[in-house]
Amino acid sequence: QNRAPARVSVHLSSAMSWSPYTDNGGTVLAVAGEDYCIVAASTRLSSGFDILTRDSSKLLQLSPKVVLASAGMQADMKALQKMLISRHVMYQFNHNKPMSVTAAAQLLSNTLYYKRFFPYYTFNIVAGLDDQGRGAVFSYDAIGSYERSGFFCQGSGKELIQPVLDNQLKAASPLVIPSKSDLTSLPLEQALDLVKAAFVSAGERDIYTGDQVEITIMTKDGTRKDSLQLKLD
Amino acid sequence: MSIFEYNGAAIVAMAGKNCVAIGSDLRFGVQLQTITTDCPKVFQMNDKLFLGLSGLGTDAQTLHEKLVFRHNLYKLREERSMKPTTFAHLVSSVLYERRFGPYFAGPVIAGLEDNGTPYLCGMDSIGAMETAKDFMVQGTSPESLYGMCESMWREDMEPEELFETLAQCLLSGVDRDALAGWGSVVHVITPDKVITRTIKGRMD
Repeated sequence: QNRAPARVSVHLSSAMSWSPYTDNGGTVLAVAGEDYCIVAASTRLSSGFDILTRDSSKLLQLSPKVVLASAGMQADMKALQKMLISRHVMYQFNHNKPMSVTAAAQLLSNTLYYKRFFPYYTFNIVAGLDDQGRGAVFSYDAIGSYERSGFFCQGSGKELIQPVLDNQLKAASPLVIPSKSDLTSLPLEQALDLVKAAFVSAGERDIYTGDQVEITIMTKDGTRKDSLQLKLD
Repeated sequence: MSIFEYNGAAIVAMAGKNCVAIGSDLRFGVQLQTITTDCPKVFQMNDKLFLGLSGLGTDAQTLHEKLVFRHNLYKLREERSMKPTTFAHLVSSVLYERRFGPYFAGPVIAGLEDNGTPYLCGMDSIGAMETAKDFMVQGTSPESLYGMCESMWREDMEPEELFETLAQCLLSGVDRDALAGWGSVVHVITPDKVITRTIKGRMD
């Protein structure tokens, strides 16, 4: 009896296919103090094992008191920055004042969740000074889940740096009386030294972190910039 | 989930001035369930040589037993203990024998040479050795441990300071690792003695 040959469909599940996403590497971190906020970002832009440029910026100063730092895919970072600048211009037009850091934090969360089913491949930190003049740091996942904290890092070096920040800046226990706020009581210069030391260490062990670190420091007296040279390897 | 992350471990070894220290966490779990909280992953091979084994618990245990056996046989034949470099090459050899069906373990060897010089060595699961003059880490979140060690290690630390540094690296490193923690044990090896301390960290 002749039977038709059984048809077997073979699905090559391991076939390479085009991905809309790429990881351009880099690390960002922010530390909030009693009356200051430090935001730092590495400037290397990579693709796989190649370095595309040694001096690209991951920081966006939305207003004198709000900075957005983004790690991940640079294309989505640029698109996100463009979107937020546009929304900020409209906000200032409607409210006659720049966005506060808490407002910007909420706006970013909503903007990211808007693309819940085709996300921005960005890992963001919003940092600045809140309405009382105290430091504020907000950290996000790719789809907008966020939390305010005293310090955070994102990007390729985050697993290297986060425990160092925990060790130096976190309260020994949440049960300590009187309750310690999230803000570090370290003075500005010591916090800045810690940030720089953390980046030097990350630069040693993470291939995507290196070249330079761009640092923005916000205080009630205004915003100043600093930079740190890292190894070029 | 990787086979190396089935049980969970964190091991750090550091070199100081004529001393070495090695420590591990104490958790023994099966994926996300913690079974016991008194399971160290560092074993003493002789009075100046320690072996740490991360990775799959059953393979770490079997490897430890095989290496104790080989070391005892060596002592019977040679009438002396193995030097750290010799032991490290033995571990590498034992692992490579199983090149195409390996033991899922990540060893760290810490010891003092006869003249008191520190010896630190780490390997992958098939025996590729890498010696270091500063520190060696293994475990389920190596980046956390690398970040801490890279920031905190300095050259020529005395035993007391070496202990404090290693303890901080372990404690803060495992706090960001769900599979390692529940306290730590740290051994500091100097030419005349070994001091062992058990540390209480975040018990979660």
